[in-house]
Amino acid sequence: MPKITIDNQEIECCNGVPVLQAALEAGRDIPHYCYHPGLSVVASCRLCLMEMMMPNPKTQELQWSPKLVPSCQTPVRDGMVVRFDSERVRQSQATCMEFFLLNHPLDCPVCDQAGECHLQDYSFKFGKPESRMVDQKLVNPKKDIGPNTLLYQDRCVMCTRCVRFTDEISGTHELCMVNRGSRTEIDVFPGRPLDNPLQGNVVDICPVGSLLDKDFLFKRRVWELKGTPSICPGCATGCAIRIDHANDKVYRLKPRFNPKVNQWWMCDEGRFGFKYVHNKKRIRSPLVRRGYETLTPSWEDIPEIVRFRLEEHVREKGAAKVAAVLSPFMACEEAWLLARFVREIAPQSVLAMGPVPMEGEDQFFPVGAKGDAVRFTILKEKCPNRRGVEMVLHAAGGDIVTFEQFTERSGKGDFSAAWIVGGYPKPWVDKNTAKMGANFELLVLQDLFVNELMAGAAIVLPSCAWVEREGSFVNAAGLIQSFERAIDPPDTARRDGQYLYEIAGLPGLYTGERVRERMAEALPAFAKAYAAPELPVHAH
Amino acid sequence: MAVFEPVLLRNRDVEDSTSLSVYESRGGYGAARKALKMTPVEIIEEVKKANLRGRGGAGFPAGVKWGFLPKDRTRTLLCVNADESEPPTFCNRVLMETDPHQLIEGTIIAAYATQSQIAYIYIRVEFHEQFHILQRAVDEAYAKGYLGKRIFGSDYSLECYLHRGAGAYVCGEETGLIESLEGKRGWPRIKPPFPAVEGLFRRPTVVNNVETLCCVPHIIERGADWFTGIGPPHSTGPKLFCISGPVKRPGCYEAPMTITVRDLIEREDMGGGMLPGKKVKAVLPGGVSMGILTADELDMKMDFEDPRKYALLGLGTAAAVVIDDATDMRMVLRNMARFYGTESCGQCTQCREGTAWMHKIATRIAMGAGRIEDLDILLETARNMGMMPGLSICGLPDGATYPIETIVNKFRGELEAAIRAQAPERAKTVLSVLN
Repeated sequence: MPKITIDNQEIECCNGVPVLQAALEAGRDIPHYCYHPGLSVVASCRLCLMEMMMPNPKTQELQWSPKLVPSCQTPVRDGMVVRFDSERVRQSQATCMEFFLLNHPLDCPVCDQAGECHLQDYSFKFGKPESRMVDQKLVNPKKDIGPNTLLYQDRCVMCTRCVRFTDEISGTHELCMVNRGSRTEIDVFPGRPLDNPLQGNVVDICPVGSLLDKDFLFKRRVWELKGTPSICPGCATGCAIRIDHANDKVYRLKPRFNPKVNQWWMCDEGRFGFKYVHNKKRIRSPLVRRGYETLTPSWEDIPEIVRFRLEEHVREKGAAKVAAVLSPFMACEEAWLLARFVREIAPQSVLAMGPVPMEGEDQFFPVGAKGDAVRFTILKEKCPNRRGVEMVLHAAGGDIVTFEQFTERSGKGDFSAAWIVGGYPKPWVDKNTAKMGANFELLVLQDLFVNELMAGAAIVLPSCAWVEREGSFVNAAGLIQSFERAIDPPDTARRDGQYLYEIAGLPGLYTGERVRERMAEALPAFAKAYAAPELPVHAH
Repeated sequence: MAVFEPVLLRNRDVEDSTSLSVYESRGGYGAARKALKMTPVEIIEEVKKANLRGRGGAGFPAGVKWGFLPKDRTRTLLCVNADESEPPTFCNRVLMETDPHQLIEGTIIAAYATQSQIAYIYIRVEFHEQFHILQRAVDEAYAKGYLGKRIFGSDYSLECYLHRGAGAYVCGEETGLIESLEGKRGWPRIKPPFPAVEGLFRRPTVVNNVETLCCVPHIIERGADWFTGIGPPHSTGPKLFCISGPVKRPGCYEAPMTITVRDLIEREDMGGGMLPGKKVKAVLPGGVSMGILTADELDMKMDFEDPRKYALLGLGTAAAVVIDDATDMRMVLRNMARFYGTESCGQCTQCREGTAWMHKIATRIAMGAGRIEDLDILLETARNMGMMPGLSICGLPDGATYPIETIVNKFRGELEAAIRAQAPERAKTVLSVLN
């Protein structure tokens, strides 16, 4: 690994990365706009300039370069000596920031980006406190460039990250530059709006408030939001995301850098796929039916009730009459707790996994890319944890059946008691499944939304959305990734993990890590879940 | 002093000079035939020996440029920069409209020397007539077998295409030109890689100016020693000079690079002196990008080295604009600033914002609402732009700063006096109209 010296401080860095990237990774806050490690280098914002030690062409004596050099365009070489902390560099940063703000409307009070705006941050840190321009500002227009995106050209710093994104990552080429000089604008072609499955990323990579998400527009000031690291449950890719929430409400999802999965990106389906979390039709409290009565017991009584009813059933009908259907939306820990509990009560019970939702075909980006050229994938398997649940089932052993076999056997009356877990964001109970409800004497339903199975259920437990839970998902590539809980469940609902933990009779509070420790005995892979590295401020 | 015999413009006054037959009857294509019998290395060495410096503005030695190409080159491309877009410049235009075959011959030799199979001539879109003249000449050359497969019966083949620009100043910059030729937005590229390594369509590329290539046949025909015999050692060969403004004979003239600005204005065979009643106040000697000279500095030699002594950027395109004493320097300042404000491509921050800001300030000054500190802001902005301090990708902002800087420095007294003499009421009105 090459070693370079930045401002008298020696750092080790990866081969071939630009000096800027090495400095950012080392925690230095070097101002930059056009540079993004996921995109090609254009070196046009001229903000990340540095001084470089190089030999004088005449005397071969080492000296600081007469020119400033863009650090984003200069790859690291072993023994390189550079500096950012010099009068010349600071002066060039300050004038550059003054230039950026010349025509900027300074409408931070009404700008969505305020608080996470690189223009604000760098102006405070590197800029000048006032503008010397007394002339009229040039006002470039605001434009509606797509179904989900607005473009405020007056705030743009012309870093062209968004244009390069549509060229290099999505491969859809909707954005382009028009006009010249300070009147240069980002634009779309007439009749071809910015509308591709990855378009939301242009808002993320926009360092200023120029590209705006219509979904989040004017909803909340960003400094009121709390960010919680999580994993997108939209498909089996398992993109690392950040849940931005406040007062138990999710406002937006943002991708989080994960070198092993999604790099810097996420798709719109995942980005806007959290709306069901705040759906009013969610099951909000546990229900227990006794005869013609429907009771809402307190959570303290639930473990006892569930255990008693199942044990009673096993005594009467036998353990082989019990089945449990796990959901590919469950976290591995929850699946493991449930499987463990069911097998404890009824060792001969049958385990299955619920239907795996499939939609369309896998999508690869840039559009048309194959093999190594693929930069991003949206999978047709629209659930986060099929592999994780399969691992749990495999470890549990015994009688494991597919969902089709389960439906068929329950139709024949093979099972008299079943624990069915839903948790699907979209309606999942089809006619066959709905009919099946009548086959069981004891049905425990654990689901998000009211559905047809509920009528025949003896015990209904509210399921929680993934933003309210914690645990781990195993993605399509077999990577175990943990996610954290962002908000509390609605009303009296409780987290699945917590009540399953209590029902399983384990001591203390549920945490994903605590359960993974126990799981690791049978499933050693769960000893350590992968967490994407955290990045310093302004680094990518 | 012996009378200088025109070289590049020798066919200018010949009737039907654009036709192949006339060109050939005057010795044309002899150099190309001779060159194809030489090896490419011999040609490059000859051009290096002649110290042919690029006529496009920067003055980079053409032979050295050709030498940068990778040794095992097979897919080299040659681009001819005929996007003559520097404001008062028309040397290339004259060459193309009076002697297109000279350019084609130069192109053949240069393409052979660089082992290019394809040559693109990128011609400025406003050159309608010149485009058709050149196209006719190319067609004629193809018909005669001087272009296309197996030129002059040798093993060497060359395809030559004309491509018309779309009216952007920045496409005269070599990488901007390359991007434009590729069908993209004319934004100059970051270097490295340099075009000689990876240029047009990612192939090694040489970009040469029209006038540079027009010199090549003469070097091959008469030898490098003849070429170096013209002009001072650092600025060899004949050069075209343009002169415009209130002089008696504005136009394009050929001379060795020993003449001074005064010669260009005064000599009977050149500018012929000022129009009656006009006096020189200032001269922009090398296109607008190089900076300005005062009336006291007319003894500057029009070569590649001397302009630096006068705080100018270089020789540039050697197209002088004479400004007479009736002209308000505030207007000149504004004119310069406006040009770069509209022609900056918008890629690098300092250039995009700086040129536009200078335009705004200069406009305000010109309209009578300037402030003394505006002059300092202009100077500071000019210092904070350009490729030379490493603040931009291409040289356009350098060209933008030199005229502004030299006008403000050399005519500061006049500008300050004009600002002080502003009527406050008018300044107020101007500000209210502008803002």
